[in-house]
Order: sequence, then C-alpha cells, then structure tokens
Amino acid sequence: MMFTKSMILFSFSALFGLVSSLVLADSKSALTAEQFEKLRGLIKPHPGEDKWAEIPWTSQLWDARRQAAAQGKPILLWEMDGNPLGCG
Amino acid sequence: MSAFSDPEIIRMAQKQYIAVVGDDWYQRRRDDEEGRFFRSVADQGPRKGLGGTTRQGIYCFTAAGKLLAYCNNIDPEKMRNAVKKGLTEWRLLPESERRPGEVAVDNSPGSDARYSRRPPTDGLILNVYARILDHDAKGEVCAGSCKIVGGDRASRDHMWLTRADWKSLVPDRPVSGATIPLPESIADRLVRYHLVDNTRGEPPLWQREDVRSRHLNLMIEHVSDSSVKMQLEGAVLLATDADVTRADRGFDVQLLGCLRFDRRRQAFDRVDIVAYGKHWGDGAFTKGARKGKSPLGIVFELARGDTPADQVPPQGAREIAEYLGRLNR
Repeated sequence: MMFTKSMILFSFSALFGLVSSLVLADSKSALTAEQFEKLRGLIKPHPGEDKWAEIPWTSQLWDARRQAAAQGKPILLWEMDGNPLGCG
Repeated sequence: MSAFSDPEIIRMAQKQYIAVVGDDWYQRRRDDEEGRFFRSVADQGPRKGLGGTTRQGIYCFTAAGKLLAYCNNIDPEKMRNAVKKGLTEWRLLPESERRPGEVAVDNSPGSDARYSRRPPTDGLILNVYARILDHDAKGEVCAGSCKIVGGDRASRDHMWLTRADWKSLVPDRPVSGATIPLPESIADRLVRYHLVDNTRGEPPLWQREDVRSRHLNLMIEHVSDSSVKMQLEGAVLLATDADVTRADRGFDVQLLGCLRFDRRRQAFDRVDIVAYGKHWGDGAFTKGARKGKSPLGIVFELARGDTPADQVPPQGAREIAEYLGRLNR
C-alpha cells in the first residue's frame, strides 16, 4: 500500500497527540478516590505521634491562671512564635 | 514537640501543673491584663523582649506571677530539669502562697481585640495537617524523612470559615450534577494561607501574585431531603516567580474533597479534603527543605470545636481582616 504525504502527516499528528495527552495526563493526573483515602491516612497524625497531646493544654493564659489559683498549682506555659498546638 | 513527648514531662504536666500554650506573636503585643501579666512573668527570665523580640520559651510560674523556672531548649533532659525545678521552687514557697483559692484572679480582665482571636460565631473550624511525603522502593507514596527534628511529623493548623462562608458553599436550590466554582473568599484563603509547608516552623504565606493558576470547583454529587453531597476538585499552581522554572519556592498541587451538608440540621457534618503535590523551597523559619521538588500532602477535616486545642487561631489569623477576606483588594 502506498502512503500519501497527507496520510503520513496525519499519522504523525495522531501519534503526537496521543503521546502528548498521555504525558499531560500523567503530569496533571487528578487524585483518585483510592489515593484520597491512602493520603488521608498518611498525612494525618499517626497513633502515638502526638504524645504531647496527652497533656490537657488550655490555650487561654487567663483561664490557666484562674485554674491554677483555684487548684493551688503552678502554671506550665509553652510559649512559641506560632501556637505550639498549631504549626510545627 | 519531641520534649513534650517525654513520659516524665507529660506526667508532671498532667498531674502537677496547669498546662497552657501561647503564641508569642500575640502575647508580647497585647495591651490588656493578660498581656501585662505574661510580660511581667517573662521579664523575670532572660528574655525581656527588648525591641519587641520574642519571649518564647517554657515558663513555670505561679498564679500570682512569680517565675519559678525557665527553659528555651527542646532537649528533653534540659526541659525535664526545668519542669522539675519549677516544682521544687513551688514547694519551697510558703504554704500561704500555694493554698487553693489564696490568689485572687480577676474574672473579667478585658481583652485587647487587636491581639485576641476567637473562632467566628456559628462558623466552622477545620483541622489542617501537613506532612512531607516521599516514595518507597516500589514507587508507593510514604511518609518522608527530614533532617530537622520534628520535620517529618504532621504539622497542625486550623482554617476558619465564617457562617457566611459555609452558607455560600450550598446553593439555594442544589441540583445533582451541577458544578460551581469554590466561592472566592474560601478559595483564596485555602490556597494562600493553607497550601503551605509548615512542617518545620512558621511558614511563609503566599501572596496574591504567587497564585499562578487556581481551578477549584464543587460538584454536587447527590441531593436528597436530608443532605447535599459535594465533591471538591481542582488544581493550583503557586510560585514565587512568574517563570515557574526560576521560582525559589512553589507548590504544584491537586485537590480532592468530600463535603456533606445536613439539610435538617442546616450544618456541615463532613468536610474532608486532601491536597497533594510537589513543593519546593523554604522560608525564613522553615529552613531545611529537601532539595528540589518533593511531595507534600495536606489534609483538611472538620474539627469538633469543643476542645481548647480547637480554639487555636489559624497562623494566618494574625492579619484577621485579610485572612477573612474583609480588606478591599
């Protein structure tokens, strides 16, 4: 069978389009439902990772002061730039 | 974080102290009784905040404001010693200073509105977790590793939605199969304040010009008398240079989420969003990023809202008007 120039060009164009779409699909693939669940489990705090959370932190210094006065206890303040219960 | 994982420190904090956290950005600025009280305690220690500098650290003190011990070291042994010293100094005080009810504390101290934050009334609080990720030998996504202590753990933040925000997520007449753009104020907030790498410290936030592309849509999956189920999907490209290849910091990220609105309770009972993509670069307080582009994952979920930890304001809430989209653009 003889291939005309236009047939060859069309074939190359179609092949190029297919390859391009595969590359684009791979680099910009949307998250799937399966990935969603797996990523959720990976990203969220793992059991035992946040032992500091076993301490009953309050986030209001004045409330802590009131409780300390009422209970006869000292105050332990963890003061950071960025709330310690927040980032990092 | 690692020092407060020490079992002995945890035990002392649980049983013998009233434990409280503070964000020094607010505490060293607020001009009210709480701010003055905090600074009067801090000034007894080595960090006196000269020139407005940080007063961060671990403080042990009495309700009357007497400093017992101070430490600014995350080494567990050093912190343990400081916390123990606080208890030792406490026990050396006259009983009259330690007796329950002996110290009078004002019930209504007043509050400097410029530097105090409460969640919006009738709003929503979302927990936001971020974690560096990697790929294992099989190419599967796994947790990443970091040379910075704690940098491999899930970081935490909150996202606030006002009542007007969350109401704008649900059309008046929802139709299954319809797609609507994520409302602008929510999209802007989610992207610029929460698609950030805060795993090693306070992150740099994205400026408006860093948002190179943003496509975030809500697809209404199912409508019934009892609920409206929606799927959030989209993609965002953030970069500190218009030529992304030259940007020293960026995030190329996909998002997928499930939201459910309970029509009878007129409230959201599910918000679960995952953001995943390649991040690069670091900020002034987040040094130690992995070289090149590496996977970063972020999860948003509905918080219960009834614990002290739930009340912690978003990192971005320092500029609250801009955070909530109340400034003119």
